[in-house]
Amino acid sequence: MMIRTKKDDASDTVVVQPGAERLTAANALQFKSEVVDVIDGGESRLAIDLTEVAFIDSSGIGALVGVLKKLGNRGDIVVFGLSKDVQRMFEITRMNRVFPAYKDRSTALGAMADGL
Amino acid sequence: MIQHDRISIVVVDDDAFQRFFAVKLLETLGYRAHEAAAGPQALDLLRETGAPILLCDLEMPGMDGHELVRRVRAQDSGEDGAYVHVIMLTASEQSRDRDVALEAGVDDFMVKPLDQATLSARIGSVRRLIEHEALLKQRTQRLAEANARILEDLNAASDAQRRLLPDAGGRFGGLAFHAAFVPSQILSGDMFGFFELQDGYVGMHTIDVSGHGVRASLKSVALGHLLTAAYYTGNGFDEDGIPDPARLVARLNARFYHEGHEEYFTMFCGVLNTRDGVLHFCNAGYQPPWLGRADGRVEALDAAGFPVGLLPDMGYETQAVHLMEGDFVFLCSDGATEAENGDGRALGESGVKAVLDRHAREPASIPARLQATLDGWREGRALDDDLTILICERTRT
Repeated sequence: MMIRTKKDDASDTVVVQPGAERLTAANALQFKSEVVDVIDGGESRLAIDLTEVAFIDSSGIGALVGVLKKLGNRGDIVVFGLSKDVQRMFEITRMNRVFPAYKDRSTALGAMADGL
Repeated sequence: MIQHDRISIVVVDDDAFQRFFAVKLLETLGYRAHEAAAGPQALDLLRETGAPILLCDLEMPGMDGHELVRRVRAQDSGEDGAYVHVIMLTASEQSRDRDVALEAGVDDFMVKPLDQATLSARIGSVRRLIEHEALLKQRTQRLAEANARILEDLNAASDAQRRLLPDAGGRFGGLAFHAAFVPSQILSGDMFGFFELQDGYVGMHTIDVSGHGVRASLKSVALGHLLTAAYYTGNGFDEDGIPDPARLVARLNARFYHEGHEEYFTMFCGVLNTRDGVLHFCNAGYQPPWLGRADGRVEALDAAGFPVGLLPDMGYETQAVHLMEGDFVFLCSDGATEAENGDGRALGESGVKAVLDRHAREPASIPARLQATLDGWREGRALDDDLTILICERTRT
């Protein structure tokens, strides 16, 4: 198991920590399939914690989008804690328009709670 | 498959009677026996006959059984030295002798006098090992052959992929192109191209397919074949004939988006009017370009966009920039910006820009300069990702 999850009841959101400093071709598929398992387990509101993630490559972006597609219209996904490099990657690929991004856990979960 | 009756066995014993007895027993069992009266002679026989089994007496004058086995092991530990199975004959079940013998490399023991049933059983078990070894060797051989074929195919594919790329150093329409292309594996997921269109226009692109290796390279080659001058002419202009590379990119997105997977590519796509120097471009998630000015200034172009084939129905945007004579556009794959040094620090956009700042007045030198910088940054280690560098320079007339 790679990811760590924790449910925040107030916002009805599962916080997902990738459990890796780098989200790359080496682990992107595993990451995606583990998060998809969380969704298959009945969760539909996710906040991906990227605080510990220093680097995301193209496969990592692909995995995040795969999770988003899996959720479809049935759920919500946000990200938070983007490092400067990851933030730049999100800007260049416009993923900042696909994934609402928040500074940290509390602002992310606050926004999720507001959306309830 | 090794035939049971073809297996050769070397028998070494200084006692002629014991030797004769062992040979007779083995021949009765259907093996081919070779006799040696002493250790050195046994070593010669093993070399000459390639016998896979040695039946060896422990106590012999001169070179004793232990010493002989040590030499046998030294001999068969070489690159293609076949393993010799050693069965040692001892007078009694002395455990100290046995420890020394095991240390020396003996596989099995038999106590004198030999009897046919025990000998048959022991040699039979060695024979099974030998047959199994032969089978493994055959499989290894087949794998090696298959591996060689795959490598040959990959190299051929790599050549084909390179032939698809335009010659670096192309010049036409008052433009000079400078390029470098370094796959991180035999095959690359990177692709670039430039060519003349009608009416003084020139099309150009750089592409980075997500992932690496064969899968990514197949897609990049498919794109290389698709993205021709005709495709640009048909898709890269709006109804009024104004260059609109975003339209071409949107077409590609519709074509390459499929449900059920997240394979995609990032792309810079540009159409340059060589008459006035206006470059229309659409950047679909590729590392944003830099613009080098004739006076040596270098500016980053603010150009972001969705990758191609990742999400359906995304909006793409055409931007424009004016190249004066002596100006150039610089593109490189994220293989350059994301290259990490020994401490895991990426060269970054600032590291690439530093190279551009230093050499902006000689754009032709930049691909080699940036590669040298990357070599230094990586301390000679190969890049983890494919590297493409493409420069389009509007030359002075």
